[in-house]
Amino acid sequence: MKLRILLADDHEIVRRGLRALLEKHEGWEVCGEANDGRDAIEKALQLNPDVVIVDIGMPNLNGLDTTRQLLQHDPHFKVIVLTITDSDQVIREALDAGARGFVLKSDAARDLVSAVEALQNKRMFFTPRVNDLVLAGFLEKGHTVARNEAPKLPTLTAREREITQLLAEGNSSKEVACLLNLSTKTVETHRSNIMRKLSFHSIRDLVVYAIKNNLIQIEIPPPPTKAPTGPTAA
Amino acid sequence: MAIRILLVDDHPVVRQGLKTLLEGRAGWEVIGEASDGAEAVEKAKDLKPDVMVLDVTMPKMNGLEACRLLRTQAPRLEILFVTQHDSPQMMREALDAGARGYVVKSNAARDLLAAVEAVSQHRVFTALNGRDAGSQ
Repeated sequence: MKLRILLADDHEIVRRGLRALLEKHEGWEVCGEANDGRDAIEKALQLNPDVVIVDIGMPNLNGLDTTRQLLQHDPHFKVIVLTITDSDQVIREALDAGARGFVLKSDAARDLVSAVEALQNKRMFFTPRVNDLVLAGFLEKGHTVARNEAPKLPTLTAREREITQLLAEGNSSKEVACLLNLSTKTVETHRSNIMRKLSFHSIRDLVVYAIKNNLIQIEIPPPPTKAPTGPTAA
Repeated sequence: MAIRILLVDDHPVVRQGLKTLLEGRAGWEVIGEASDGAEAVEKAKDLKPDVMVLDVTMPKMNGLEACRLLRTQAPRLEILFVTQHDSPQMMREALDAGARGYVVKSNAARDLLAAVEAVSQHRVFTALNGRDAGSQ
Protein backbone atom coordinates (compact mmCIF):
# COMPACT_ATOMS: atom_id res chain seq x y z
CA MET A 1 0.00 0.00 0.00
CA LYS A 2 1.30 3.45 -0.89
CA LEU A 3 2.32 6.02 1.69
CA ARG A 4 -0.06 8.94 1.25
CA ILE A 5 1.24 12.48 1.73
CA LEU A 6 -0.64 15.78 2.01
CA LEU A 7 1.31 18.91 0.99
CA ALA A 8 0.43 22.34 2.39
CA ASP A 9 2.22 25.42 1.06
CA ASP A 10 0.79 28.69 -0.22
CA HIS A 11 3.08 28.67 -3.28
CA GLU A 12 1.92 26.35 -6.04
CA ILE A 13 5.41 26.38 -7.51
CA VAL A 14 6.83 25.02 -4.22
CA ARG A 15 4.12 22.34 -4.07
CA ARG A 16 5.04 21.29 -7.62
CA GLY A 17 8.70 21.03 -6.62
CA LEU A 18 7.90 19.04 -3.48
CA ARG A 19 5.54 16.76 -5.35
CA ALA A 20 8.17 16.03 -8.03
CA LEU A 21 10.70 15.30 -5.30
CA LEU A 22 8.43 13.00 -3.26
CA GLU A 23 6.84 11.13 -6.14
CA LYS A 24 10.27 10.03 -7.38
CA HIS A 25 10.22 7.77 -4.34
CA GLU A 26 8.62 4.43 -5.14
CA GLY A 27 5.62 3.67 -2.99
CA TRP A 28 4.78 7.28 -2.09
CA GLU A 29 1.99 9.40 -3.50
CA VAL A 30 0.91 12.96 -2.89
CA CYS A 31 -2.78 12.43 -2.16
CA GLY A 32 -3.65 16.11 -1.86
CA GLU A 33 -2.46 19.69 -1.79
CA ALA A 34 -3.56 22.63 0.34
CA ASN A 35 -2.76 26.31 -0.06
CA ASP A 36 -3.20 27.46 3.54
CA GLY A 37 -3.54 26.05 7.03
CA ARG A 38 -7.32 25.97 7.09
CA ASP A 39 -7.41 24.15 3.74
CA ALA A 40 -4.78 21.71 5.10
CA ILE A 41 -6.93 20.82 8.12
CA GLU A 42 -10.01 20.32 5.97
CA LYS A 43 -8.12 18.12 3.47
CA ALA A 44 -6.31 16.14 6.21
CA LEU A 45 -9.65 15.29 7.81
CA GLN A 46 -11.08 14.25 4.43
CA LEU A 47 -8.09 12.33 3.09
CA ASN A 48 -6.55 10.94 6.28
CA PRO A 49 -2.97 11.03 4.92
CA ASP A 50 -0.08 9.13 6.49
CA VAL A 51 2.12 12.24 6.55
CA VAL A 52 1.24 15.95 6.40
CA ILE A 53 3.93 18.40 5.27
CA VAL A 54 3.14 21.99 6.27
CA ASP A 55 4.93 25.21 5.45
CA ILE A 56 5.33 27.37 8.53
CA GLY A 57 4.52 30.70 6.84
CA MET A 58 1.08 30.20 5.32
CA PRO A 59 -1.65 32.83 5.16
CA ASN A 60 -4.93 32.57 7.12
CA LEU A 61 -3.54 29.91 9.46
CA ASN A 62 0.21 29.45 9.86
CA GLY A 63 1.93 26.06 9.90
CA LEU A 64 2.46 25.88 13.67
CA ASP A 65 -1.19 26.53 14.50
CA THR A 66 -2.17 24.14 11.72
CA THR A 67 -0.03 21.46 13.39
CA ARG A 68 -1.58 22.17 16.82
CA GLN A 69 -5.11 22.02 15.45
CA LEU A 70 -4.48 18.87 13.40
CA LEU A 71 -3.15 17.07 16.46
CA GLN A 72 -6.09 18.26 18.52
CA HIS A 73 -8.39 16.66 15.95
CA ASP A 74 -6.36 13.46 15.86
CA PRO A 75 -3.07 12.90 17.70
CA HIS A 76 -2.11 10.24 15.16
CA PHE A 77 -1.40 12.77 12.41
CA LYS A 78 2.31 12.85 11.60
CA VAL A 79 3.37 16.36 10.69
CA ILE A 80 6.60 17.63 9.15
CA VAL A 81 7.11 21.40 9.41
CA LEU A 82 8.93 23.13 6.56
CA THR A 83 10.53 26.41 7.47
CA ILE A 84 12.83 29.07 6.08
CA THR A 85 14.42 29.72 9.46
CA ASP A 86 15.95 27.50 12.14
CA SER A 87 15.90 30.08 14.94
CA ASP A 88 15.71 28.63 18.46
CA GLN A 89 12.25 30.08 18.93
CA VAL A 90 10.80 28.49 15.80
CA ILE A 91 12.34 25.13 16.63
CA ARG A 92 10.95 25.23 20.19
CA GLU A 93 7.50 26.20 18.90
CA ALA A 94 7.52 23.40 16.31
CA LEU A 95 8.46 20.86 19.00
CA ASP A 96 5.81 22.28 21.34
CA ALA A 97 3.20 22.13 18.58
CA GLY A 98 3.88 18.40 18.21
CA ALA A 99 5.67 18.26 14.86
CA ARG A 100 7.53 15.00 14.29
CA GLY A 101 9.76 16.43 11.61
CA PHE A 102 11.42 19.78 11.04
CA VAL A 103 13.08 20.52 7.70
CA LEU A 104 14.59 23.74 6.37
CA LYS A 105 13.10 24.71 3.03
CA SER A 106 16.56 25.43 1.65
CA ASP A 107 17.58 21.82 2.50
CA ALA A 108 14.28 20.20 1.51
CA ALA A 109 15.72 18.63 -1.65
CA ARG A 110 18.26 16.83 0.57
CA ASP A 111 16.33 16.25 3.82
CA LEU A 112 12.66 15.89 3.03
CA VAL A 113 12.84 12.35 1.70
CA SER A 114 14.84 11.31 4.81
CA ALA A 115 12.24 13.01 7.01
CA VAL A 116 9.32 11.19 5.40
CA GLU A 117 11.24 7.90 5.59
CA ALA A 118 11.87 8.50 9.29
CA LEU A 119 8.18 9.10 9.99
CA GLN A 120 7.26 6.08 7.88
CA ASN A 121 9.49 4.04 10.23
CA LYS A 122 7.86 5.58 13.32
CA ARG A 123 10.86 7.78 14.05
CA MET A 124 11.22 11.53 14.10
CA PHE A 125 13.42 13.71 11.87
CA PHE A 126 14.85 17.06 12.76
CA THR A 127 17.45 19.18 11.08
CA PRO A 128 20.82 18.74 12.88
CA ARG A 129 20.49 22.11 14.59
CA VAL A 130 17.42 20.85 16.47
CA ASN A 131 19.48 18.04 17.95
CA ASP A 132 21.94 20.62 19.31
CA LEU A 133 19.09 22.61 20.82
CA VAL A 134 17.43 19.59 22.41
CA LEU A 135 20.77 18.47 23.84
CA ALA A 136 21.47 21.95 25.18
CA GLY A 137 18.02 21.97 26.82
CA PHE A 138 18.67 18.55 28.33
CA LEU A 139 22.06 19.59 29.72
CA GLU A 140 20.53 22.71 31.23
CA LYS A 141 17.88 20.70 33.09
CA GLY A 142 18.49 20.71 36.81
CA HIS A 143 20.52 23.89 36.72
CA THR A 144 19.08 26.32 39.21
CA VAL A 145 20.55 29.43 37.61
CA ALA A 146 17.78 31.35 35.89
CA ARG A 147 18.33 31.78 32.17
CA ASN A 148 18.56 35.25 30.82
CA GLU A 149 15.29 35.22 28.92
CA ALA A 150 13.04 38.07 27.94
CA PRO A 151 9.93 38.27 30.11
CA LYS A 152 7.10 36.25 28.51
CA LEU A 153 3.96 37.95 27.26
CA PRO A 154 0.61 36.52 28.37
CA THR A 155 -0.37 33.43 26.40
CA LEU A 156 -3.04 33.76 23.75
CA THR A 157 -5.57 31.01 23.19
CA ALA A 158 -5.55 29.12 19.87
CA ARG A 159 -8.53 31.18 18.69
CA GLU A 160 -6.85 34.44 19.72
CA ARG A 161 -3.69 33.45 17.82
CA GLU A 162 -5.75 32.73 14.71
CA ILE A 163 -7.46 36.10 14.96
CA THR A 164 -4.16 37.87 15.63
CA GLN A 165 -2.68 36.37 12.47
CA LEU A 166 -5.69 37.34 10.35
CA LEU A 167 -5.75 40.91 11.72
CA ALA A 168 -1.99 41.26 11.22
CA GLU A 169 -2.43 40.10 7.62
CA GLY A 170 -4.61 43.15 7.09
CA ASN A 171 -8.12 41.70 7.45
CA SER A 172 -10.84 43.78 9.09
CA SER A 173 -12.88 42.35 11.98
CA LYS A 174 -15.71 41.76 9.51
CA GLU A 175 -13.42 39.83 7.14
CA VAL A 176 -12.04 37.77 10.03
CA ALA A 177 -15.59 36.98 11.13
CA CYS A 178 -16.41 35.82 7.63
CA LEU A 179 -13.28 33.61 7.40
CA LEU A 180 -13.89 31.98 10.78
CA ASN A 181 -17.68 31.74 10.58
CA LEU A 182 -18.10 33.96 13.63
CA SER A 183 -20.12 37.10 14.22
CA THR A 184 -18.31 40.43 13.85
CA LYS A 185 -19.20 41.15 17.48
CA THR A 186 -17.45 37.96 18.66
CA VAL A 187 -14.33 38.85 16.66
CA GLU A 188 -14.35 42.35 18.12
CA THR A 189 -14.58 40.90 21.63
CA HIS A 190 -11.62 38.63 20.90
CA ARG A 191 -9.77 41.59 19.41
CA SER A 192 -10.28 43.71 22.56
CA ASN A 193 -9.20 40.77 24.75
CA ILE A 194 -6.03 40.31 22.68
CA MET A 195 -5.16 44.02 22.87
CA ARG A 196 -5.85 44.08 26.61
CA LYS A 197 -3.87 40.90 27.34
CA LEU A 198 -0.87 42.14 25.40
CA SER A 199 -1.26 45.80 26.52
CA PHE A 200 -1.30 46.92 22.90
CA HIS A 201 -2.92 50.11 21.67
CA SER A 202 -2.62 49.87 17.90
CA ILE A 203 -2.80 47.39 15.07
CA ARG A 204 0.85 48.23 14.39
CA ASP A 205 1.80 46.70 17.77
CA LEU A 206 -0.17 43.61 16.80
CA VAL A 207 1.62 43.29 13.44
CA VAL A 208 5.03 43.56 15.13
CA TYR A 209 3.94 40.93 17.68
CA ALA A 210 2.73 38.62 14.88
CA ILE A 211 6.06 38.91 13.04
CA LYS A 212 8.16 38.41 16.20
CA ASN A 213 6.13 35.36 17.19
CA ASN A 214 6.16 33.76 13.72
CA LEU A 215 2.43 34.08 13.21
CA ILE A 216 3.24 35.83 9.95
CA GLN A 217 6.47 36.01 8.01
CA ILE A 218 7.85 38.73 5.84
CA GLU A 219 10.56 38.69 3.22
CA ILE A 220 13.01 41.54 3.53
CA PRO A 221 14.11 42.96 0.18
CA PRO A 222 17.82 43.22 -0.53
CA PRO A 223 19.35 46.60 0.32
CA PRO A 224 19.28 49.03 -2.60
CA THR A 225 22.44 48.81 -4.65
CA LYS A 226 23.83 51.55 -6.76
CA ALA A 227 23.09 50.96 -10.43
CA PRO A 228 26.01 51.51 -12.79
CA THR A 229 25.84 54.78 -14.69
CA GLY A 230 24.94 54.74 -18.35
CA PRO A 231 21.93 53.49 -20.32
CA THR A 232 20.09 50.27 -19.44
CA ALA A 233 18.38 48.00 -21.93
CA ALA A 234 14.87 47.75 -20.41
CA MET B 1 9.33 27.82 -30.69
CA ALA B 2 12.34 26.36 -28.89
CA ILE B 3 13.47 28.35 -25.85
CA ARG B 4 16.61 27.57 -23.83
CA ILE B 5 16.19 28.61 -20.21
CA LEU B 6 18.57 29.06 -17.26
CA LEU B 7 16.86 28.81 -13.84
CA VAL B 8 18.29 30.76 -10.92
CA ASP B 9 16.95 30.41 -7.36
CA ASP B 10 18.66 29.50 -4.09
CA HIS B 11 15.95 26.95 -3.17
CA PRO B 12 16.30 23.66 -5.12
CA VAL B 13 12.64 22.84 -4.46
CA VAL B 14 11.54 26.08 -6.12
CA ARG B 15 13.83 25.36 -9.09
CA GLN B 16 12.29 21.89 -9.36
CA GLY B 17 8.78 23.37 -9.33
CA LEU B 18 9.67 25.93 -11.99
CA LYS B 19 11.39 23.27 -14.08
CA THR B 20 8.40 20.90 -14.14
CA LEU B 21 6.19 23.79 -15.19
CA LEU B 22 8.53 25.05 -17.95
CA GLU B 23 9.38 21.65 -19.37
CA GLY B 24 5.69 20.89 -19.75
CA ARG B 25 5.82 23.19 -22.78
CA ALA B 26 6.96 21.46 -25.98
CA GLY B 27 10.31 22.73 -27.22
CA TRP B 28 11.24 24.57 -24.03
CA GLU B 29 14.34 23.28 -22.30
CA VAL B 30 15.89 24.09 -18.94
CA ILE B 31 19.56 23.94 -19.94
CA GLY B 32 20.99 24.74 -16.52
CA GLU B 33 20.38 25.84 -12.95
CA ALA B 34 22.17 28.19 -10.56
CA SER B 35 21.67 28.92 -6.87
CA ASP B 36 23.03 32.48 -6.62
CA GLY B 37 23.73 35.53 -8.76
CA ALA B 38 27.44 34.87 -9.22
CA GLU B 39 26.83 31.32 -10.44
CA ALA B 40 24.11 32.67 -12.76
CA VAL B 41 26.54 35.09 -14.39
CA GLU B 42 29.11 32.30 -14.89
CA LYS B 43 26.58 29.83 -16.31
CA ALA B 44 25.06 32.44 -18.63
CA LYS B 45 28.52 32.92 -20.14
CA ASP B 46 28.98 29.18 -20.74
CA LEU B 47 25.47 28.10 -21.70
CA LYS B 48 24.18 31.17 -23.57
CA PRO B 49 20.48 30.71 -22.73
CA ASP B 50 17.70 32.65 -24.45
CA VAL B 51 15.90 33.44 -21.18
CA MET B 52 17.03 33.57 -17.57
CA VAL B 53 14.42 33.08 -14.84
CA LEU B 54 15.96 34.91 -11.89
CA ASP B 55 15.13 35.27 -8.19
CA VAL B 56 15.85 38.57 -6.36
CA THR B 57 16.93 37.51 -2.87
CA MET B 58 19.86 35.12 -3.04
CA PRO B 59 23.18 34.63 -1.22
CA LYS B 60 26.55 35.85 -2.54
CA MET B 61 25.09 38.05 -5.27
CA ASN B 62 21.44 39.03 -5.43
CA GLY B 63 19.40 38.95 -8.62
CA LEU B 64 19.44 42.70 -9.22
CA GLU B 65 23.23 42.86 -9.17
CA ALA B 66 23.44 39.81 -11.43
CA CYS B 67 20.94 41.40 -13.82
CA ARG B 68 22.99 44.61 -14.11
CA LEU B 69 26.15 42.64 -14.83
CA LEU B 70 24.43 40.46 -17.39
CA ARG B 71 23.03 43.46 -19.24
CA THR B 72 26.55 44.41 -20.19
CA GLN B 73 28.01 40.90 -20.53
CA ALA B 74 25.13 39.20 -22.38
CA PRO B 75 23.00 41.89 -24.02
CA ARG B 76 20.92 39.40 -26.03
CA LEU B 77 19.84 37.44 -22.97
CA GLU B 78 16.29 38.22 -21.77
CA ILE B 79 15.80 38.26 -18.00
CA LEU B 80 12.57 37.47 -16.18
CA PHE B 81 12.40 37.96 -12.42
CA VAL B 82 10.31 35.47 -10.44
CA THR B 83 10.27 36.73 -6.88
CA GLN B 84 8.51 36.80 -3.53
CA HIS B 85 8.49 40.62 -3.58
CA ASP B 86 5.02 41.79 -4.53
CA SER B 87 6.04 45.42 -4.72
CA PRO B 88 5.83 48.06 -7.48
CA GLN B 89 9.11 49.60 -6.22
CA MET B 90 10.95 46.31 -6.55
CA MET B 91 9.42 45.75 -9.97
CA ARG B 92 10.62 49.20 -11.08
CA GLU B 93 14.09 48.44 -9.76
CA ALA B 94 14.14 45.12 -11.64
CA LEU B 95 13.11 46.73 -14.93
CA ASP B 96 15.64 49.54 -14.37
CA ALA B 97 18.30 46.89 -13.85
CA GLY B 98 17.53 45.62 -17.34
CA ALA B 99 14.99 42.84 -16.84
CA ARG B 100 12.25 42.35 -19.43
CA GLY B 101 9.74 40.71 -17.10
CA TYR B 102 8.60 40.50 -13.47
CA VAL B 103 6.34 37.84 -11.95
CA VAL B 104 5.43 37.25 -8.30
CA LYS B 105 6.30 33.77 -7.03
CA SER B 106 2.87 33.15 -5.53
CA ASN B 107 1.41 33.57 -9.03
CA ALA B 108 4.18 31.84 -10.93
CA ALA B 109 2.06 28.81 -11.79
CA ARG B 110 -0.43 31.18 -13.47
CA ASP B 111 1.93 33.72 -15.07
CA LEU B 112 5.26 32.02 -15.74
CA LEU B 113 4.59 30.44 -19.13
CA ALA B 114 3.05 33.59 -20.61
CA ALA B 115 5.89 35.65 -19.16
CA VAL B 116 8.66 33.46 -20.62
CA GLU B 117 6.92 33.46 -23.97
CA ALA B 118 6.63 37.26 -23.94
CA VAL B 119 10.21 38.02 -22.87
CA SER B 120 11.60 35.47 -25.35
CA GLN B 121 9.94 37.62 -28.02
CA HIS B 122 11.51 40.72 -26.46
CA ARG B 123 8.21 41.96 -25.04
CA VAL B 124 7.85 43.32 -21.52
CA PHE B 125 5.71 41.22 -19.13
CA THR B 126 4.87 42.38 -15.61
CA ALA B 127 2.36 41.05 -13.10
CA LEU B 128 1.92 41.87 -9.43
CA ASN B 129 -0.69 40.36 -7.11
CA GLY B 130 -4.17 41.74 -7.57
CA ARG B 131 -3.25 43.34 -10.87
CA ASP B 132 -3.75 41.88 -14.34
CA ALA B 133 -0.69 40.66 -16.12
CA GLY B 134 0.56 43.13 -18.68
CA SER B 135 2.56 42.40 -21.79
CA GLN B 136 3.74 44.90 -24.37
